[in-house]
Amino acid sequence: MSDSRTTSTTEKPKKRKGPIRWEAIIPFTIIVILIGLYFKLFFDSHMRSLAEFVGYQATGAEVNVHQLETSFTNASIRIAGIEMTNPDKPTHNNLNIGEIRFSLLWDALLRMKFVINEAAIENISFDQPRKSKGKVKPPEPEKENALKQEAEKLKDEAIESAKTKYDDNVFGNIANMMTGSSESDEMKKLEGKLVSKEKMKAFETALKEKQKNWEERLKKLPKASEFQALGDRLKKVKSSGFNKPEEVQKSISEVQAIMAEGQKKIDEVNATKNDFDKDLKLTDEGLKDIRSQIEQDIKDLQSHFKIPKIDAKSIAMTLFKRYTNPYFAKINHYKALFYKYAPPNIVDKNDKPEVKIQPRVRENGTTYEFGKLNAYPTFWLKKALISSKLNSSDPNSKNGNLKGEINDITTNQLVTGKPTLASISGDFPSEKIEGIDFKLKFDNRTKDAIINTTFGVKSFGISAKEIMNTPDIAMSFASAIGGLRSDLELKNYKELSLKINNEFRDVDYQVTAKNKDVEGILVNVFKEARTTNMVAEGKGTLPQFDLDITSDLGERIQRGFEKEINAKIEELKKKIKDYVDAEINKQKEQIEKQVNELRSKAEGELKKVQEQAEAQKKLAENKINEAKSDIENRMNAEKAKAQAEANRRLKEEENKAKKAAEDEAKKQAEKLKKQLGF
Amino acid sequence: MTLIFKQLFNFLKMLNSDTGHNQLAAGLACGLILGFAPFFSLQTVLVLALIFVFRIQMGAAFLAAFFFKFVAYLADPVTHELGKAVLENPSLRDLFVDMYNMPILPFTRFNNSIVMGSLVLSLILAPFMFFVFRALIIKYRILVVDRFKSTKAWKAFKATTIYNWYSKYDALYG
Repeated sequence: MSDSRTTSTTEKPKKRKGPIRWEAIIPFTIIVILIGLYFKLFFDSHMRSLAEFVGYQATGAEVNVHQLETSFTNASIRIAGIEMTNPDKPTHNNLNIGEIRFSLLWDALLRMKFVINEAAIENISFDQPRKSKGKVKPPEPEKENALKQEAEKLKDEAIESAKTKYDDNVFGNIANMMTGSSESDEMKKLEGKLVSKEKMKAFETALKEKQKNWEERLKKLPKASEFQALGDRLKKVKSSGFNKPEEVQKSISEVQAIMAEGQKKIDEVNATKNDFDKDLKLTDEGLKDIRSQIEQDIKDLQSHFKIPKIDAKSIAMTLFKRYTNPYFAKINHYKALFYKYAPPNIVDKNDKPEVKIQPRVRENGTTYEFGKLNAYPTFWLKKALISSKLNSSDPNSKNGNLKGEINDITTNQLVTGKPTLASISGDFPSEKIEGIDFKLKFDNRTKDAIINTTFGVKSFGISAKEIMNTPDIAMSFASAIGGLRSDLELKNYKELSLKINNEFRDVDYQVTAKNKDVEGILVNVFKEARTTNMVAEGKGTLPQFDLDITSDLGERIQRGFEKEINAKIEELKKKIKDYVDAEINKQKEQIEKQVNELRSKAEGELKKVQEQAEAQKKLAENKINEAKSDIENRMNAEKAKAQAEANRRLKEEENKAKKAAEDEAKKQAEKLKKQLGF
Repeated sequence: MTLIFKQLFNFLKMLNSDTGHNQLAAGLACGLILGFAPFFSLQTVLVLALIFVFRIQMGAAFLAAFFFKFVAYLADPVTHELGKAVLENPSLRDLFVDMYNMPILPFTRFNNSIVMGSLVLSLILAPFMFFVFRALIIKYRILVVDRFKSTKAWKAFKATTIYNWYSKYDALYG
């Protein structure tokens, strides 16, 4: 039935299709048009949202991009109105950029290279107020990856180090010293806290126990009479005039038995000596430990009484800690960011990834660059212009006049043959900042990649800058003019050296102190220090990097206080030393005496016994040697006698044989004569 | 996704029909090149354009590309060595320098050892494999499809209404 149905259906013969799929042209064209429309209508806004999202995630605060335009035909991009919120102060922006624009070269793009002839970054400004408060990313929950934890740890460590390393209240301690106080009562209270005293007590008990043990062991050692008895036995052993070989054998066996007995006693003495040496070594170490503990106790007492260090470095560190801490916090923030995002081959990341099953990563192969001179490298930004112009119509404008140029940023400096150079200069009159000068050189053409930067500011105003505020002293720069110059060198992206030289001119200080003497000294010092400096210097391998601060102000203050306070410091130090000596030294000497007594007694005893044992051993050896030589002499004599006898007999035998031969010869001759008839 | 599935069904349908063995074999051979080439490269675009413009069976090409991706993955160490040997050949050095600095050609990513090795290997294998696939398809049709069609079970299924409805739908909508 089905067959009849199919046969009855009149099927049109299918038109044979050619090798080309003409029917696909229209759908393809529609798809291309749709893609084109997407790029024309929506791509820019999507890119803008993406940039804002990525910026927010990376910086941890809201990032706004007001306009983003791309052009396919010009291969260009223009981003206008970039605002990066300051996460610590969301009402302000960290950075505002008026416009960034650049276009790629189609000629290079067709060669899969990215070459930008000229890029521009315009209207840069810092710390501008925002129209509305920026969104700040909330802190991430505890589930953080090892890398971030490491970065945070580094940041915290650096901040903590800056906080605590020079947190000693130098001026507070100086003030206390100058006021003066009774230390002797305080010292009495501390008597029980001396660790060395406790240690010595324990050591003395152990030493007494040891002394007792040693006395017992020395008593058990072989006595001189025992060695004498062995010697007497040896003397009785026959060592010459042997008649039979059995006698010799007997004598030797006897001597050997006495020697074995003696050796056993010698071994016993030696083992005791070794044990004693070991014990003595341990005792010496214990004494050494006590001595170092005494030193430590002196140091602890000094810190308890807060003896200030009147050295320029500590003073400079304390003085400029408040001034530099905000900058260090910023440096550490960026250091942590660098550590977080830098590729592992640049930064040695010690985090150990968790072990999990994963497929083999597909090999990347080796990518060769067949570059030639004057060809395009994979990326090349030939020139980037940076500018920021002061808005003269707005008196509150925080913009400044900035002008800069970056040349030859590239992935392959060998192809372009040029290092990357950057220079920015300008000023911010509203902020009283003049003569900003930044220069960078990045040279990757040699074996060691080197980044050199210099940054200087000719002058910047400082007003009411607090440098110290403690219960004892408050100190600030009422007004000053600062100047800055910094040099940075980064070798192979790891070895960093940095030097920042800050100069302060026309400084007006404001000092108040609880102690009027201290205030007087400081006012006198500062009167002379209208010009001062602060030098921060550091060298290290990233991410480990510390800055050291010095200042001539520290030296001046040191000199100011030295006369007044050094005598007092020395007096207190002497008091502490005397106290320690009185409390401890007597006990220490007693212990040392005991140790020496034990040493001399035990050593003398052991030496005596050893000498006796050795003497008897020598005697036994002599006996054996004597017996041996006697036997040898006798054997040689017997040998000679036997030899002479043998020679005599041999001669007799020879003569006998000769005579017999001659007789026989004569007999034969006679017989022959008879036969021949002679 | 629907388009890919449709192409795969078409591939199975065509494989079990009597026609189009050249289209199928060409599709499989193109799939081989696709499988060995990196996804973002000029050669992938060119092969896709060939498949799209000419009547090459797309399902066969995609299926083969999927399969040969695994083969290429396993052959990476071999292709790396092969590509390295080609790229480091001193006599070809000037040619590669010119190619590297020419427009369009760098999009093939020929300067990567694995890409170069895979390209060389797939270009050598593709023509041979075309004839091998063609012979296998013909063999399959004789040994498997014809025998299956002559079984009673298939004949019984062909007589059912469901099959009639399906063949009607297939004739109308393909």
